[in-house]
Amino acid sequence: MDLWSVSYDLTNLLVDIVNFFIYGLGWLIPGSIGEAFDSLGDWLASPGVMRIFTILMEIILLIVVALLNVVTLIWIERKLLARFWDFRGPFYVGPLGYFQNFADGLKFFLKQIITPIKADKFSYFIAPVIFIGSSILILGTIPIGPEFGITDEGTPVPGSVILAFAIFAVAPFSILVAGWAENNKFTLIGGMRSAAQMMSYEIPLLLSVASVIVLAGSFSFVDVVEAQADMWYAVPLFIGFLVFLVCIVAEVERIPFDLPEAEAELVEGWTTEYSGMRFGFFMMTEYVRGYAGCAIAAALFLGGWNGPAIIPDEFWFLIKAYMVFVIFVWIRASLPRIRTDQILDLGWKRLLPLAMLNLVIAVVLKTLGVF
Amino acid sequence: MLSDTYLPFAIFAVVSLALPVIVFWLSRYFRPLKVIPKQQETYECGEVPIGEAKIQFHFQYYMFAIIFVAFDLVSIFVILWALVFSDMGDIAKIMLLSFLGILMVGVTYALKKEEIIWI
Repeated sequence: MDLWSVSYDLTNLLVDIVNFFIYGLGWLIPGSIGEAFDSLGDWLASPGVMRIFTILMEIILLIVVALLNVVTLIWIERKLLARFWDFRGPFYVGPLGYFQNFADGLKFFLKQIITPIKADKFSYFIAPVIFIGSSILILGTIPIGPEFGITDEGTPVPGSVILAFAIFAVAPFSILVAGWAENNKFTLIGGMRSAAQMMSYEIPLLLSVASVIVLAGSFSFVDVVEAQADMWYAVPLFIGFLVFLVCIVAEVERIPFDLPEAEAELVEGWTTEYSGMRFGFFMMTEYVRGYAGCAIAAALFLGGWNGPAIIPDEFWFLIKAYMVFVIFVWIRASLPRIRTDQILDLGWKRLLPLAMLNLVIAVVLKTLGVF
Repeated sequence: MLSDTYLPFAIFAVVSLALPVIVFWLSRYFRPLKVIPKQQETYECGEVPIGEAKIQFHFQYYMFAIIFVAFDLVSIFVILWALVFSDMGDIAKIMLLSFLGILMVGVTYALKKEEIIWI
């Protein structure tokens, strides 16, 4: 599906409807006011304004599609975890409990928001906005299909891989700010743990991504995926794929790496003092990041939307992303949470040498001309 | 031009930052607003909170933080190097790999030397 042309047609339709009324008013009202309406209509239909509106329409469509995927992922996780732990999971609301997440969201929306009197008001407000906003922003970098991403008249944004990882790395900063601003001991410890975690996974993650970029020779997701038409990078760079999976689980803060909100030790970690819709958004944002991580893993290592043309490209991409997420759920159901010093040791003494080895393998493969 | 190429992304950034603000503001009209003073106290498992939390926190991973600062810059360098990999001569490739090798030796030395790295 070509997202640009679809949203262009939709915007064109909307502008036509609006312009029908504007020109109608311009025809009804005589004099200079009527001429002003006419020029407003011309301005709306001009190419520059149409471009901005089309981009807005693209963004809305992309966010809606991504959030539907996120809701499906939460449902998959609930159902799967329930089966792992021998119960049935949600089944009251909707078919197989699919609408349970919508009901939970509505409930969070109606809950009271309490601001602690000792909290630092400005940073207490701004930290969730940065966390949620940056997490939703990651979705914009990831194209689901060859033409289903943020594009400008059909040209995708260049450098999307590097943008995605740059935005991914913003969240620990906002967690640290939130943990400090809430003025609570649990949240402070949670924020500090988030910083420790970021220190351990960031470098192996970037090095394993660098090995993919060595082979693909481009920063754009579209080019990286096109380069995997013959073979998935998970095959030659198997070590890198494993390192990337471990690091991305740490990046999206899921068990076994959810140190910042270790609910057994730190109440609810850095989100302790947040309530109502803010907390609800945090819960959703975790899965937005989970979806983004799975999608990036699918795009960089599992061949993205390459596959037999039985089903559309977008579905291949989503199937691969969902498979990665199922692995995440499996890990979550199986492993206990690890300590802060353990994750630092894991990052620096195990993952970093492996990522280096993987980079050397990529360099050798590229130099020998295999790719 | 840079601003032209990344225009869709800039608009996306504005939309995504506005989304939480709008939702928080909208929920104001649906949620209860009456505040009981007890609610606003800091949560400490039901106990009366002891002292402030804005303290000098003893974070115990100082050594790792120092190595991280050096290595983070290098990883950006590696990514840029990876982008232009196929256009480079052999010497440039070997140079960065040997640089990374030296860094690895340094990291191994630092982690081995500090007997008690967890201060």
